This record gives sequence, C-alpha cells and structure tokens, in this order.
Amino acid sequence: MPILEFSGVTMSYGNGAAGSRGRTAALKDVSFVTDEGSFVLLTGPSGAGKSTLLKLVLASERPDAGTIRVADRDIHRLRKSSIPYLRRNVGAVFQDFKLLPDASPLENVALALQVLGLPPAEVDLRARRALTDVELDPNTRRSSRCLSGGEQQRVAIARALAGDPAILLADEPTGNLDPRLSREILDLLQAVRARGTTVVIATHDPLVFEHVEASQILTLAYGRLVADTAAVAPMPADAPAGMPSAVSIADTMSGAGPIGAVA
Amino acid sequence: MRVLHSMRYVTQRGVRGMAQAPLVQLLAVATIAVCMLLLGCVLLVWQNARSIADRWGVDVPVTAYLVDDVPADRVAALVERIAALPQVERVDVITPELAMTRLVEGLGDDPTLVAGIDPSVLPTSLEVMMPPAEAATAETLAAELAAEPDVEDVVAAGTWVARAQALLETLRSIALGAAALVGFACLTIVWSTIRLAVYARRAEIQILRLVGGTPSFVHGPFVVEGFVQGALGAGLAVTLLYFGFDAVEPLLADAFALAFAAGGLRFLSPLECAAVVGFGAALGVLGSRAAVARYVET
Ligand SMILES: Nc1ncnc2c1ncn2[C@@H]1O[C@H](COP(=O)(O)OP(=O)(O)O)[C@@H](O)[C@H]1O
Ligand SMILES: [Mg+2]
Repeated sequence: MPILEFSGVTMSYGNGAAGSRGRTAALKDVSFVTDEGSFVLLTGPSGAGKSTLLKLVLASERPDAGTIRVADRDIHRLRKSSIPYLRRNVGAVFQDFKLLPDASPLENVALALQVLGLPPAEVDLRARRALTDVELDPNTRRSSRCLSGGEQQRVAIARALAGDPAILLADEPTGNLDPRLSREILDLLQAVRARGTTVVIATHDPLVFEHVEASQILTLAYGRLVADTAAVAPMPADAPAGMPSAVSIADTMSGAGPIGAVA
Repeated sequence: MRVLHSMRYVTQRGVRGMAQAPLVQLLAVATIAVCMLLLGCVLLVWQNARSIADRWGVDVPVTAYLVDDVPADRVAALVERIAALPQVERVDVITPELAMTRLVEGLGDDPTLVAGIDPSVLPTSLEVMMPPAEAATAETLAAELAAEPDVEDVVAAGTWVARAQALLETLRSIALGAAALVGFACLTIVWSTIRLAVYARRAEIQILRLVGGTPSFVHGPFVVEGFVQGALGAGLAVTLLYFGFDAVEPLLADAFALAFAAGGLRFLSPLECAAVVGFGAALGVLGSRAAVARYVET
C-alpha cells in the first residue's frame, strides 16, 4: 500500500509567479512512491531540496506543480481547515527541534496531545509513555534549553510519535550528534519502524547509511530526484543509469562529489 | 468532550501567556479602565438627566386638573375638543385611581406614606401631549384651557420643556459619541497589546501549528487574553465609578436639593453595569481577533 506519493512535484521559493525569475527552484519534477511501513532515506548534498520535500509533506509549503498524496489523499487539495488533521497523522522531527525552550520535556510532548483535545489524564499518561519510549525521564523538571542535543532530539522524537502518526519525518536527525548518540537515535528510529510506522529520514550523514537498513533510498541533487532504489520504472534521462546501492551513495556523500559521478 | 478539553487547554495557555507579561497586562487593563471610566461618567450623567426629566414630567407639556365630580360624558367631550386642536398630539385622562397608582410607584420605597390616602381626594387630570416643535405654544394653550369651566387649574411646563428635551438629545449624542470613541480606543489598545504578545510567542504559535493545532486552538489563548483585558478594564472602571459616585453624590444632592427632591441621583442599574463590562469584553475579543487574524503563516 503506498502511503506517500509524489508525482511531477515542482517547487520554488520566493515571491512572484511560479517559474518567474527571482524564484529559487528547490524541487523539479520529483516523482516517487513509498509503501506503508518503509524506512526511507532521503539523501543528497546540502541544498538539494531534502528539507523542502519534507515541508511539502507537512503542507507547510505548497508545490508550484504536481501532486502529493499522503495515505491516498491529495494534500494540497485539502481545505485549509483540514491541514491540522493531516499534521496529526504526520509526525515531524525538525532539524532545529522546535521545542519550547522554557517548557519541560513532558510539557513539550504534551502539546502534541493537547491539540487532539484529549483529557488531561490521558495527555499526561501518553506523554510520559512517549518519553519513556525514547529513554528519557518523564519526571525531569529541567527546561528543554538545559538539555543536551541528544536529549532534545529525543524529546522532539517523543513529541512527533506521541500522537501515533502513520508517518514519521526526521530532518537530519544525526546532524548535531556525536557518532555514539547518532547510533542510539538511529536504533530508536528503527524501533519505531518495527512498530509499523513509516519513517522518512532526510540526511547526508554517511553514518546513517552504514547503520540503517533502509527499504528505499531517494537521492536528490539540485532539486531533481536522481535515484530511487524502489523505482520500477526507468529513471529520467538525466539520472545516472542503474540503481545506486546504499553504500555507493554513502560514498558519494562522504566524498561530496557530484551525484552524476555515481554511475 | 474534546471541545471542552480543548477550551481548557486554550484557557490555560492564555492565562500562562498573560502571566508571562504581567506589566503589559496591567497597563492594558488600566488604560482600558480609564477609557471606560469616561464612558461610564457620560452614561451616568445622561441616565440621571433622563430620570430627573421623567420625574418632573418634562414629557407632559400641559396638565389640566379638573374640578371635582365632572360627569364622564363632559370629560369625554372636553377631551375630544382639546384633541381636535391642531397643536395637540394626544390627550390622556388620568383618573384618580391612575394618579394613586403613580403616586405609589413614585414613593415606591415607602408605601406606608400613601396607605391612608383615599384615591377619591385626588383630582382627575388631563395630560395634553404636544409634538416638541409645538412646545413653545404650551403657555397659550394653558391659558385657553384655564378658561374652561370644568378646569380648576392648569400647569404648563412651558418653553423649558423644549430646552430640556434638546439637552437630553445632546446628552444622548455625547453618550453615543463617547461610546464610539472609547470603543475605538479600547480596540486599538487590545489590538496592539495582542500583536506584541503574538510576536513574543511566535515560536510557540509555529510549533502548535506544526503539531496539528487548529487555528482556533492556536489563536484561542490570545482571544482569551483580549477578553480578560477588556472585561477586567471595564469591570475596574465600573467599580471606580461606583465608589466615585458614592463620594460625590451627597455633595451634589445638597447643592441641587430641589432638582433631586423627587428621588435623588441613582447609579447605573446592575444591567447597565453588566452591559458596560460586556461591551469591554466584546471589544477585547474583537481587538484580539483582529490582531491574530493578521498573523498569517503556515
Ligand atoms: N525558506 C527558503 N527561502 C528561499 N529559499 C530556500 C528556503 N529554504 C530553502 N531554500 C533553497 O531551496 C533549496 C533547497 O533547500 P533545502 O530543501 O533546505 O535543501 P536541503 O535540506 O537538501 O539542504 C536551496 O537552494 C535553498 O537555498
Ligand atoms: Mg535541510
């Protein structure tokens, strides 16, 4: 069952009409399909469009062209009032975590449950469980700004998972962590996937490719999807021939060479 | 159920947000209170002017008291004749019983005062209504009526009726103008305070949106804040006005003893007080809604 489907998605930033000058193209004609329960690595050098792709899934940006389907619904056809409900079904871990700095981990996680209108006792119970799942102490009263990067990352993951979403998006989840913490976080994300949640990680960290068993690897370069290990149809003409393996992509990433050199 | 829980979270966040900037809240409430105090003063003056005018019968230009025991058919004929005059709008017959009822109402506080009065000692009277434009001719009409054989005495309110009515009109316009001005001022105060609050808590707003908060969930706390500011400000104004009135009323009552003879000054009724507080709260809600509506971001 496909849970995430991009077809012909083009997106650019800036003011002015789509396609006009003065707009930065971030994604160009991106198409792929992801099955439910997959573990997807979205990769490509800095500026390739990874974060943009995640923002489109959350409907916090709109595509200029193309359609995006989440759980078989065209999300940019949704009425504005339906977007909150989409977001409750898509948990997101942001690169900068986006935690309330003065609130405790428990309060931060509780936010994602309060928006659901759950009773306070249930909010508390589920927030505690989510924190325990990521191996954090739910009783700590420290504000989030006093936590280490790894701890903040865990709080962000707990918040994203607290509402039991169908998809978990994580943008550079190992970006600010040392290798030991990175492995812990990646193990955690694999455990999430083992529970049936679809996980999509945007990363250009070679360690992720070594450590994670991905079911699909999407490679972006300059806004184009240049490789998709799950694609059955041939890639566009300007993509490299053949399917790159996870390892070869990881090599490319660490070498920071142009993607075109993979083939 | 979910709605109730959501409202609870929204209120909690609103209160917590206010607690984060207590000085700003205090300033907003105080400024709104000053504005509403102005409005309250104008309302108070207008209301009292109206009730004094009522008590003095300003709305009845000419009253003719009849001699005792005029037969009903002669009364009816007289009424018909007066009503036919071009400057007369309407003639009301005040029977002794009706006069008694009015007396009891007027002395409302102490019915024992009228307990011994027999209605039949009160005369029948005719209240001659004239349109405000004809009020100046009241004296002439009074003289004509005094010549009637069945009429014992005539009281004409005279030209000052017209003046009193004009004054009431002016007071009413001032009250409306003050309400508009104060409304605009309070809206502006709430709007700018909430804009600052929205700016200060923009990170929280963004997070709530990203985790799936609906617009009313995300904006609700700010509307709560505006509501509280408006209601507290207006409530404070009504309280201050009450104590101010209490302090000033005895002085005025001494100075204008004659004018207030029929029943003294009165404070705004509970309903009017509630209306002022409600007006403040409504302004708070409107101002804060306008402030958050402008803050569009996905
Ligand atoms: N908010 C923005 N406004 C304008 N340009 C942006 C914005 N965000 C990203 N971009 C541009 O879009 C392109 C893709 O960025 P991004 O999706 O962040 O890439 P990645 O996450 O792969 O590093 C880059 O050229 C970047 O400069
Ligand atoms: Mg990025």
